[in-house]
Amino acid sequence: MSNLKETLKAQIIEQLSLEDLNPADIQDDAPLFGGDGLGLDSIDALEFIVLLETHYGIRIADPSQGREIFYSVNTLADYIEKNK
Amino acid sequence: MRLIGTCFLSARGLMMDGKLICQFSDENWLKEAYGMLQVDYPKFYKMDNLSKMAFICTEQLKTTGYFENLSDEEMALIFANSCASQHTDMKFIHSYTEQSNPSPSLFVYTLPNIVTGELAIRNKWYGSNCFYILPTFDANFFVNKLQHLKEEDGNFCLCGWVESKLDATGVIELEESFLFLVSLNEIDKEGSLINQLQETLTDYRNFKI
Repeated sequence: MSNLKETLKAQIIEQLSLEDLNPADIQDDAPLFGGDGLGLDSIDALEFIVLLETHYGIRIADPSQGREIFYSVNTLADYIEKNK
Repeated sequence: MRLIGTCFLSARGLMMDGKLICQFSDENWLKEAYGMLQVDYPKFYKMDNLSKMAFICTEQLKTTGYFENLSDEEMALIFANSCASQHTDMKFIHSYTEQSNPSPSLFVYTLPNIVTGELAIRNKWYGSNCFYILPTFDANFFVNKLQHLKEEDGNFCLCGWVESKLDATGVIELEESFLFLVSLNEIDKEGSLINQLQETLTDYRNFKI
């Protein structure tokens, strides 16, 4: 699971063009969205959906689950483990 | 109307009000320019090259204090280029034809008027804004639009010619950004604004400082 999280952090940085960040800058349990997180926005949420489909073959059936799934690296990794 | 300040950015360097601010050393000159500004705005990295160039020129002009004490509605934005968002359009096409991965964050930049949107968001400038497509830089066109703004009780306008042009093979042929700030209600003692703009751009393109 820890390998998946580190891989996810690198993929997030690349997919979302977060060039000023390193994987070590993203805490596993820190919120990804909003002012307390990485400052991601709704377009970035769409990029997460593309990331899941492209890299893990997972399509989110219910978009309303997005807020919960993309809350943090931990929640994202849990979702991938359960649905891959 | 009076020309208050000008800024020009290309792969050769950044110039403002006729003076060289810095020259660039490698192909990542946009990132180099951003770093030189010492501005903390992570969203810069998500922008396309058009928005990045306009952002850099605007931030450089802001170092002069030209924009201080402006209210949200006082600043209008009139921008133009000849290639619209061609560079980003091709990258977006590539994202779904070659990578089977259409990128939402690229898609939002497939209209050039996102440039004025990015500047408005960053600086809270809520006056009129528009982005025109012209065959070439046309100072007469800009002054004509500025005259209309003045008649509508406008105060200031930041204008820009921001171009990211590809050649026939899809390689970047030209990238440049020329921004100029105009006060709509002051009298210009230096002669025709049209001539000033054309001469200034020519000098910048020839790296004449």
